[in-house]
Amino acid sequence: MTTSTGTAVGNGTIDAEVHCTPATIAELVPYLDPYWRTYVLEGGLTISAAQGGAYPPQAPTSATPAARSAGAFPAREAADVRARVLDPGRLRAAVLVCTASFTSNRNPYYEAALTRAVNDWLIAEWLDSDERLRASMVVPTLDTDAAVAEIERIGDHPGIVQVVLPVRTDAPWGNKRHRALLRAAAEHDLVVGLHAWGRTGNAATPSGITHSYLEDYLANSQIIVQAQVASLVTEGVFAELPRLRVALLECGFSWLPALMWRFDKDWKGVWREVPWLDAKPSDIVRRHVRLTSTPAQLPRDPVQVRQFLDTFDAGAMLMYASDHPHDHGSGHERLLSALSPAETEAVLAGNAAGWYALG
Amino acid sequence: MRIVVSRLDEFPPGERRIVQAGRRSIGVFRVGDKFYALNNHCPHQGGPLCLGATQPWVRSGGPGEYVLDESESLVACPWHGWEYDLATGQSFLGPGEPPARTYDVSVEVGAGEPRGGRMPGPYVAETFPVHVEDAYVVVDTSGGTRRTGTTRGER
Repeated sequence: MTTSTGTAVGNGTIDAEVHCTPATIAELVPYLDPYWRTYVLEGGLTISAAQGGAYPPQAPTSATPAARSAGAFPAREAADVRARVLDPGRLRAAVLVCTASFTSNRNPYYEAALTRAVNDWLIAEWLDSDERLRASMVVPTLDTDAAVAEIERIGDHPGIVQVVLPVRTDAPWGNKRHRALLRAAAEHDLVVGLHAWGRTGNAATPSGITHSYLEDYLANSQIIVQAQVASLVTEGVFAELPRLRVALLECGFSWLPALMWRFDKDWKGVWREVPWLDAKPSDIVRRHVRLTSTPAQLPRDPVQVRQFLDTFDAGAMLMYASDHPHDHGSGHERLLSALSPAETEAVLAGNAAGWYALG
Repeated sequence: MRIVVSRLDEFPPGERRIVQAGRRSIGVFRVGDKFYALNNHCPHQGGPLCLGATQPWVRSGGPGEYVLDESESLVACPWHGWEYDLATGQSFLGPGEPPARTYDVSVEVGAGEPRGGRMPGPYVAETFPVHVEDAYVVVDTSGGTRRTGTTRGER
């Protein structure tokens, strides 16, 4: 069986990331309080699948040919995901991610209202329609108290398995100001997922705004997510929240071994600054972080692929994700063809089942 | 080989002496009332380990908490910052790395009875009898790696 990414999957596979989105903000309006309905209407606020330029409609990366020909990308309703992902892949489960609220304006009260609406829409329109679906809830990024309150409100819903956060933020997620949000997620046994992109004003580089989509796109995996991993580990998030599990979504993974190599080396020299680390950074990452398998940025030579996978125990660290409807080329096939049977089982199902407690 | 390093009263806490034992350079440290001696050769790349800064361990129960040990027990090589336990020579930068060589340090008194409260020293000059009194710091290069520092007054 072949999914839209061309990946051979079969019975029992878990897809750790499938995108969904409301077609327009009108779909969310029923889930907004009356004040915010008027605010949206009078302000002409919108949401779009292009997500503030993150997924330009005509960019080849924004949709696979199959998803593009089907018209709506990402999926707008559960039937889309059932027909294009769940049934063809004979999946056991799929974790939905809706990043439509990532590009919210900077009104913290509107962002709280919008994320509440997205969550209630996910529960009503998606989770209630197919038992194989799980959802990532969203939370406001400008108001930690409101984010905690939202996790308290719906974090125990049996279909909610993750709090998804934009990888681009005003301050790195390890920063102490965010700790209560991460603690709430850990206490509700929710994975914290960091997903590519974020608010349009969050620059792709520490040096400022870029002009090209190429730089913007590249930055998610090659700059920003690495800074977040360094932040979470260094700030002692996992020392303080030993149960916290983090998933890096649509941020690639080929950068991981190089970062870990340097991270361990530099920690050895300046450990005194962060004495709460009870192990070298690569061990902490191994305990607390998993990465989705898409995009798989891998060499063509199978021998080199295998050598690379051995540098970070890929069979234990990666979780299969179609990232439907996005198109990341053939890297994922190179990944699967290099895995042993045991690793394949772990990457296609076991790792995600454990991380998301899918039973 | 036993090397007399210094008179005790000329070797105050917090100081160190570099002594030569044949071709070997040895750093002798006084931390409080404990003495440590370490080969002045970093196993990493041969740097002058004993010229580096000494620091205490710092422990933590969580982010933002820093608890310093009371005494300095680590020395960091000035070349690349590799740190070693002064007492054991154990490095704390990576698995499988060799420890730095450590030596016994003792505070000894010379043979003979105390005299007026002053302790005899270790040497007797050949031609003239000399009463070397008071305590001396002696480093002994003949023993194996030592696991603890020597406290002043230990024999």
